[in-house]
Amino acid sequence: MTGAGWLFLFSVLVAAGLLFTMVFFIIMFSDLECDYINPIDLCNKLNQFVLPEHIVHAFLTLCFLLSGQWIAFIINAPLLAYNANKIRLGNHMYDATEIFRTLPNHKKESFIKLGFYLLSFFYYLYRMILALIAEGE
Amino acid sequence: MASPGPQQLPPGWTAEWEPTHQRYLFIETATGQTSWEPPVVDPELAPSSSPAPAAHHAKRRQYAAGQTQAYYGAGDNLNGGGYGGAAAPPQPGQLFTPGLAAENQFQQQQQQQQQPMGGQPPYYGAAQEPEYINAPQQPMYGQPQAQMNNLADQFGQMNMGQKGHRLYTTNLLTSPPDPRELSQPPPEIVLPPNSCVSPSPFANADHTYQRCTVNAIPTTNSLLKKSNIPLGLVLTPYRSLKEGDEPVPLITDTVIARCRRCRTYINPYVQFIDGGNRWRCCMCSLSNEVPQLFDWDQVRNQPGDRWARPELNHGVVEFVAPTEYMVRPPQPAVYIFLIDVSHSAIQSGMVATATRTILENLDRIPDENGRTRVALIAFDTSLYFFSLPAGSTESSMLVVSDVEDVFLPKPTDLLVNLSEARASLESLLGRLGDMFQDNHIIGSALGPALQAGFQLMSSIGGKIIVLSASLPSVGVGALKNREDPKILGTSKESGLLQAASPFYKTFAIECSRAQVSVDMFLFSAGYQDVATLACLPHYTAGQTYFYPAFNARTEDAIKFAHEFGSVLAQPIMLEAVMRVRASKNLRMSSFHGNFFVRSTDLLAMPAVPQDLSYAIEVQIEDTITAPFVVFQTAILHTTCYGERRIRVVTTAFPTTSNLSEVFASADQVAIATLLANKAVERCITHKLEDARDALFNKAVEILQAYKASMTAAGAGASAQLAISENLKMLPVLVLGLLKNVGIRQSAQIPPDLRAYAQALLTSLPAQLLMPYTYPNFYSLHNMPPECGTVGEHGVIMPPPLPLTSERLERHGLYMIEDGQTMFLWVGRDAVPQLVVDVFNLPSYEVLRGGKTTLPILDNPFNQRINAIIQKTREMRRGPYWPHLYIVKEDGEPALRLWALSCLIQDRSDVLPSYQQFISQLKDKVNGGNY
Repeated sequence: MTGAGWLFLFSVLVAAGLLFTMVFFIIMFSDLECDYINPIDLCNKLNQFVLPEHIVHAFLTLCFLLSGQWIAFIINAPLLAYNANKIRLGNHMYDATEIFRTLPNHKKESFIKLGFYLLSFFYYLYRMILALIAEGE
Repeated sequence: MASPGPQQLPPGWTAEWEPTHQRYLFIETATGQTSWEPPVVDPELAPSSSPAPAAHHAKRRQYAAGQTQAYYGAGDNLNGGGYGGAAAPPQPGQLFTPGLAAENQFQQQQQQQQQPMGGQPPYYGAAQEPEYINAPQQPMYGQPQAQMNNLADQFGQMNMGQKGHRLYTTNLLTSPPDPRELSQPPPEIVLPPNSCVSPSPFANADHTYQRCTVNAIPTTNSLLKKSNIPLGLVLTPYRSLKEGDEPVPLITDTVIARCRRCRTYINPYVQFIDGGNRWRCCMCSLSNEVPQLFDWDQVRNQPGDRWARPELNHGVVEFVAPTEYMVRPPQPAVYIFLIDVSHSAIQSGMVATATRTILENLDRIPDENGRTRVALIAFDTSLYFFSLPAGSTESSMLVVSDVEDVFLPKPTDLLVNLSEARASLESLLGRLGDMFQDNHIIGSALGPALQAGFQLMSSIGGKIIVLSASLPSVGVGALKNREDPKILGTSKESGLLQAASPFYKTFAIECSRAQVSVDMFLFSAGYQDVATLACLPHYTAGQTYFYPAFNARTEDAIKFAHEFGSVLAQPIMLEAVMRVRASKNLRMSSFHGNFFVRSTDLLAMPAVPQDLSYAIEVQIEDTITAPFVVFQTAILHTTCYGERRIRVVTTAFPTTSNLSEVFASADQVAIATLLANKAVERCITHKLEDARDALFNKAVEILQAYKASMTAAGAGASAQLAISENLKMLPVLVLGLLKNVGIRQSAQIPPDLRAYAQALLTSLPAQLLMPYTYPNFYSLHNMPPECGTVGEHGVIMPPPLPLTSERLERHGLYMIEDGQTMFLWVGRDAVPQLVVDVFNLPSYEVLRGGKTTLPILDNPFNQRINAIIQKTREMRRGPYWPHLYIVKEDGEPALRLWALSCLIQDRSDVLPSYQQFISQLKDKVNGGNY
């Protein structure tokens, strides 16, 4: 298997991981809405995952850049910029005092990210298969 | 003023004493119309109008009596049928059916109501403009009386059958705001007949406890959207009791009937069914069993009268809670004082004033059963703990200079019982100022001090009272001076109003969990970052007090001692959670005020101080089919006397599907309060401009909605700016908010003052918020002779003037007060005799502007003015003690401008005058539809 094949196999796994993180976030938000969890615990729990998620995604994007996978890089660049901007402004963490006011936005964001990871998962899968076929020929 | 008593009124009118303005407010009971002028008796119409209001009252009383009789099977007619058989006498032994007794009576009342309408043509008849839909075929002015009567009949028919709200349209361009309107009660809540099981006038909570922005709730969300009025509740559940206020009835028998499904507490709006064995919840219509002991008088051990139970007769009640409502035995009240003893605090005299005030108020701290505990921690860049062994007068100081990792130097004797350690505490408080007399340390370890206080009390909970005079600079929570005059007035300014350090938020959450509440008293002369420090009281349900550039040698000491003393003396609720329940299809969507939102609708408040206001936005989720809806606020709390209680505040509002009624029942004061809260939130999350735009646009939207649906102009352009009579003050209140220190466009307001003003805007109850946005302005040199003397209801206040400097005369003496400060404006040509009389000074030239106390002299004019000042300081709820500033017309410009900035109807800098503002509104209202 060539480099591209390995890279996309790796990205498929990462995308699946990120996908599950987002599902977890959304489940936690709906738990909060149904009053199964209090905002303090929720924020403590979710904040552990915020930075790892951003770092993993940034690492994946970097891999695409370094290996010259331009299309995959361009697809991921906007999200990377969005995350970086949030960290720069210092509002990437969930704030327990504001969570109820901002909950609809957080949910929307998580859903959009979920969709994005899902689509990119299939894209990476497609590219992986493509790379494998190209290798076979 | 020779106020006629109620006995001289024409029938159908009642007089209600209005304490703020020291005069009677005249109310026509049938229509709910109010007036400041005594109504004129019309000999012809008086007889016909008299039965209407009488029947109105009789109906409710008779109905309930009937209900009681029906329930107990008693036969005799209690009310003696004094109203011409207007109501069918209750059938003995038969179960009461709602709607039976009062129906035909109501129709009679209706017919009678229409007649007296013609009796007061001057009130609305003249104000009618031909353009409005309300009066399509209105004759031109000066038509004979008969025409007016016809018109009145038309009104009567337009009135949607039964409800009491009539829409009176006024033109904002021609009717200037009348300051007296603000203290009028909100539009009456006219519930459909038979909605309440009690005849008591207290069945609905007083509007000072809980009020809604509209007193007739629209049935659908689209109707609400059409009116553009924000729907919300404004609450002050823990309102203080002033003299003459009804105390909150207490239910001690721990029989607490609640709905099984929605957990609503039983209230006057439930329905008893099944022979009185079950009750139907007024929110979710579930039928519940009446508890067995509900009809049992446990004190006398005999069957009791169900209808006498306070929870069925009062909108505000307190239940003593049984053990199921406790997670632990009721805690004692705990007060921990964190006193800044750094150089600046000592120099300003803050420490001396604070210790003296605590000493003087030790007796007033709530401690009825000797459980209250106190601790004292002083801090500069180190922490100083004081060990106060019980029963001795000795105390020892323990210094902890390691502020990185705070620990308690001693396990016991730091947090002591107030009554046991009284002697040592008194001696310590007496010496504390001297102990640090020569302290030259600059800097403050506020964060570590807070952590230490928290460690001391975290197992119990209670109140931390912080007195700090400098920017925290050491240890956790250290803050940087981020005040930058260059960014004031720019879009970056809102950054200065956000918390600079996450510590004050995360620590607030920890406090909220451990039931610790923090009050901040801030005194700095320089930048202190009030915005960040205020987070702590904000999320722990405390309150921030700010004394910029405090100096104990001036009147500051009196102000601070008075306010600090009242805060110490006021009873507090501890370990409280608040929840607001509402009828089906209504949902509390967002919350404003000082608390931590612990779940979607549960507000955690470690300690609830008195007279703090909270605002809640309400959403209509689906069509409401019920004829009325109920809002119920319940606070489960521990009193500072060690009793677990539930305070329940219930208000019912009728619903309506009629847009004109939504407008006619709108409460401008509640709307302004809600808008203030929303604007402040916007200032912090967005930008200050956004908040101002949002305020202005809301006013435009409401006016547009009114014009489009309630006037004949519809969507087209109009020469008028129409709004209903009861919303007449809304534009000027919005203008007042736009000109408030917290929101105003200016590059000169220090961020500390802004942050403090915003803290006030979100926490003041309506009674204090209204003068804060629309100050009171009195002319003193030519006030009527009875003003300032003691009348029937205390000191008589002068009539308020509109807030414009046109009213300032060069020889006059004026007072402008906004509840937080008072200005005594002296004109430059003030008569020497006036200066002598009031200030005991030979001439105007010798008079000095600034903070002052007026001398008490032996002449009637001085005494009257002193009485007015005294009254202004006392007449409102809350601990605030306004400063008195003397402002000379040609004196210090800063002070003059400050005083003039209270006259909000004037133009100042870039901010429009009232006239300009109204024409801006008009342009927008007309322009938006092209």
